[in-house]
Amino acid sequence: MTSYRNGGFFNAAYHDSETLEIDRSKTHHTNPYAGGERPDEHYSTGQTGGDAAVGRVPGWREESWRESIPMGLISTHSESPSWHHDLNHSTFQIPPDSQRDQSPHVRLSSKASGHMTMRWRGITMRRMSMFPNGDPANVAFTEDAIRNEMETEEQDLVKELVALSTRDRIRAIRDLPMSFDEKKHIRSHVLAFKSSKQSRQFTCFADCTETVSLSFRRCGSSMSSARQTLELWQGVMKEIGGKFGTSVLIYFVFLKWLLMFNIFSFLVNFGFITIPLLVYDPSPNIPPNVSFSGLEILSGAGYFHYTVMYYGGYSNETLHGLMEYNMQLAYFFTTAVYMVLCGIALIFSMASSFKKNYVLADPTSNSAWQLLCSWDFSITNERAVRQRKNNLRVQLKESLSEKAQRELLTLTEELKHFGVYLGSWLLSTGLAIGCGASIYYLCQYQQQLLPADAADWSLLQEAETLLVPFVVSLVNLVVPLFYSLFNKFERYSSQRRQIYALVVRNVFLKISILAVLCYYWMNVVAKKFSCWESVVGEALYRLVIVDFLFLMLGSFFGEFLSNVIGTRLLPRLGVPEFDVARNVLELIYAQTLAWIGIYFSPLLPAIQILKFFLLFYVKKVSLVQNCQPPRRSGRAAQMQTIFIALLFFPFFVGALSMFAYTAWSLTPSEQCGPFRGLNNAFSVVGVWIDDLEEIPGSQWAVWIYENVIRSEIFYFFISLIIIVIIFIFWQVTQGRKQLIGLLRQRIVNEGKDKSFLLDKLQNLQKSQPDKKSKQKNQKKHSKRRPDDHSSSGQSNSNAMVQALLARQQLEQEDERCSSDGVPVPSDISTSSALMQAMLARQRADDQDEDKHSSSSSAFTQAVQARQRAEGRERDEHYSTGFSESPINTSSAFTQAMQARQRAEEDGADDAHDLPSSVSSVMMQVVQARERAEKEDRPPWAPAPPQNSAPAGSSALIQAMLARQQAQNEYDDGY
Amino acid sequence: MGNKQTIFTDEQLDAYQDCTFFTRKEILRLHGRYHELAPHLVPMDYTNDPDCKLPLALIVNMPELKENPFCSRIVESFSEDGFGNLSFNEFVDMFSVLSEMAPRELKAIYAFKIYDFNVDNYLCKEDLEKTLNRLTKEELTPEEVQLVCEKAIEEADLDGDSKLSYADFENMITRAPDFLSTFHIRI
Repeated sequence: MTSYRNGGFFNAAYHDSETLEIDRSKTHHTNPYAGGERPDEHYSTGQTGGDAAVGRVPGWREESWRESIPMGLISTHSESPSWHHDLNHSTFQIPPDSQRDQSPHVRLSSKASGHMTMRWRGITMRRMSMFPNGDPANVAFTEDAIRNEMETEEQDLVKELVALSTRDRIRAIRDLPMSFDEKKHIRSHVLAFKSSKQSRQFTCFADCTETVSLSFRRCGSSMSSARQTLELWQGVMKEIGGKFGTSVLIYFVFLKWLLMFNIFSFLVNFGFITIPLLVYDPSPNIPPNVSFSGLEILSGAGYFHYTVMYYGGYSNETLHGLMEYNMQLAYFFTTAVYMVLCGIALIFSMASSFKKNYVLADPTSNSAWQLLCSWDFSITNERAVRQRKNNLRVQLKESLSEKAQRELLTLTEELKHFGVYLGSWLLSTGLAIGCGASIYYLCQYQQQLLPADAADWSLLQEAETLLVPFVVSLVNLVVPLFYSLFNKFERYSSQRRQIYALVVRNVFLKISILAVLCYYWMNVVAKKFSCWESVVGEALYRLVIVDFLFLMLGSFFGEFLSNVIGTRLLPRLGVPEFDVARNVLELIYAQTLAWIGIYFSPLLPAIQILKFFLLFYVKKVSLVQNCQPPRRSGRAAQMQTIFIALLFFPFFVGALSMFAYTAWSLTPSEQCGPFRGLNNAFSVVGVWIDDLEEIPGSQWAVWIYENVIRSEIFYFFISLIIIVIIFIFWQVTQGRKQLIGLLRQRIVNEGKDKSFLLDKLQNLQKSQPDKKSKQKNQKKHSKRRPDDHSSSGQSNSNAMVQALLARQQLEQEDERCSSDGVPVPSDISTSSALMQAMLARQRADDQDEDKHSSSSSAFTQAVQARQRAEGRERDEHYSTGFSESPINTSSAFTQAMQARQRAEEDGADDAHDLPSSVSSVMMQVVQARERAEKEDRPPWAPAPPQNSAPAGSSALIQAMLARQQAQNEYDDGY
Repeated sequence: MGNKQTIFTDEQLDAYQDCTFFTRKEILRLHGRYHELAPHLVPMDYTNDPDCKLPLALIVNMPELKENPFCSRIVESFSEDGFGNLSFNEFVDMFSVLSEMAPRELKAIYAFKIYDFNVDNYLCKEDLEKTLNRLTKEELTPEEVQLVCEKAIEEADLDGDSKLSYADFENMITRAPDFLSTFHIRI
């Protein structure tokens, strides 16, 4: 924290911008402790640092409290630990109730524990408002008050943490913006508090539960440790992130996520469909003339046709093992539930990703973003760092030149751009449709050659079936490369748009291909082949396998070859970049195939797992060997959200509707599969319900089936309710948007207020220095004496007393000096007396400030406000003010001093009544001063000429009035 | 954990787990890394909280930080004395805030500290210029640096004081979703 304090001291900007006593105490050494070693250094450093944050902007603390928060929070708690610690230990015994009523307590529900940092901000805000608008009396509570307040805060925090559940508490403690030592300290307090509370109730039992919960937590944490060890590819991820940055890492994270998805679906399918069947009947019923030829691995047909790989391999019987197991129901429900679970998982991850990455995202702040948020801290590779720096430099230069270029765009150029867009969109759309159509005709052509029964396929025919997947994969490989050529002609204003355009075109291509294939399977294959589900399953298997081969080829051609070309043949092209968007779309396509296939080939996820697992390493090697980090650091997090959204919206929803159509509308094949002999797969449920009707006690299930599942009214109402809810939420969102706009506007307004006030202050400060230089002469008097005190090693609380003593000494000196000096001019005007009183006060205040250098910023402001009010007058009379030093001055001065002293003592007493309102403190000061005046007048009233006493008192009253006026003016500032 | 020597007591590990985003295994690994930096300075036995601090120069040599343009600022921001001398606890703190699990608010607070070179609680133009020079190998001309910094301030400064307060910074961070993933050092 030292650094922060130093920052406060030495930063020139502070000097200019704000009235910081810290600065002053540094510039003129009137501080009695400034010279020697500070016996209480711990404290003063702590206080200075803490208050540098707290009292920095005294007048508008409450409005701008957020500004000083980060450091305020941290500084007050992380400096001078020794002081901090014994402070806390000493205060922990304070009964909580007495702490409570000192500061308004904000209740925090356990749900809100995530907002613990907000709560800390609240505390800081409260601490700041502890010094109400610049009243000198408040200077009195400096160290004690702050200490008290901090104790209270910590107590409050500890209490709140105690109230939370263990899990929430740990989370809240983790989120506190403090150093580990303080967190640990707070935690130990919380635990101590908790255990003391418990032991009061029932010792033995509490001990027991404590131990049990502790051991449970330890067990849980070791579990999570173990899970971390099992976490796949931890080191590889770190390496990729270190070399290529987060945006490339997204591809691998996505790949891993899909892999997990597939492992889950494999476990579900294998567990609920395949294992029961294998347990019941381990040997597949393969016709004797079929043997394993090796081609099956590619084509998926032949031998595999009869295994549990495909729909046709499952029976429709009820298995009688240990218990009855209805295969039909199992098959239907497993697939359906799996699809629903996938949908839910996708929706949730999409929603959370959207919430995290998109809601407030704002593309306008580009430079600031590039400067402050774009650097990827995870990059550790030296070459990558160099490259990234280069890229950033180029980007910044580009953005600067773009700004200049943008205005020069003429109408014809714009038209040309528009024409290029239109042309490339038409071309890409036409290409996608053409690909879809040609694939359809190819499929048509091929199915005419194949016999209806898959058992009759010859080996050659089996090999011919590979033609369609080959063409599909080729299209998927080549056309996207062709699309990316468009980028050479199109000029998009931002790179993001370019990526989005590319993504949309690729998605359209893949959708059209998949739609055509699905249409072909539903309408042609389903009518022609005898065991058509298995045939479709085989087609999907082939697509998956060939797609995998092409992905490998793609990384060979796409990355390795262009690397070779780029480095050897055409250095102009350079080393290729890893195209995240294209690669992710390939993954999405592959996953869609697996989803479509889940009904036709339940074990397809196994192939998918293998495929993704190998792909990870292929891509990793290809990336590290061939590619360079992306030149532009796009907004990776948003891209990730888009990818998940894409995975959900066209692709998963498409697969789901395909499944639904198959299950509800298509007739299952009659010779094979679990649903043979049924009209459609869904009628399994109807059959099951019919069975249930005979079993007593299951009437509710039947009722639900009749009245909920099969009733249109139910769905009608459900959709109605959902639409209403959507509408309400939409309205809420609109309202929030407005609110955000308003709040933003308010921040802007407050910033304007702040800069206005700062300007005023600066003007004031600039008009002061000449006076200060004169005051300095005077201060030299006082400098000697307090130095004696510094060696005596007083405690912090004595500082106040010392300050008062020092001031009294100064006062006496001044009196002495003035009595030795020039005789009193008889015709002293009221204004000059007033003037002098002001001056004296100010001088005293300056002294005062030096002692409480850090905390009295508020006070200084008051002084300055007063100065502003009196400024002109004083300027006129200043020269007479000091040099003549009349008795009147000294008397007025004495009065002021004594009154102040009194007021301060009162203030010190009042310190416990935090936060007292401004006006009441004000009143107290006035009263105290008046009282002081009355008391003080009799002794010396006879000595000076009669007229001076009224002059002095009136001066004082005027001073008060002026100050109040200044105060009011100040308050009106907001 | 492999050797049977106890580095931390169970209570200590619990405290670490409750106060940071690390599991005990990661804490032990971090200790290993810390120990690695200066094997003769850092004791293997931390059960009695030895007072041991490593200077900035040693910590900055970690491969995770070595190439980071802000490495010294990161270490300084997390050190209690502000000069980059880190005790083990501060070391853990640093990687805890930079870990994946740390919430955005916490990260934002420390990122602000890191970018605040002159420690005045504001990101003023001077800070941004330093940031920019570190990010671009000081190859931009002074005019370009000026322009970029001015633009950045203009974009992010809400209250119009031509420097970025924490509020401005936080506001910008909330709108830059990448920040969470980029302000992240894998250990």
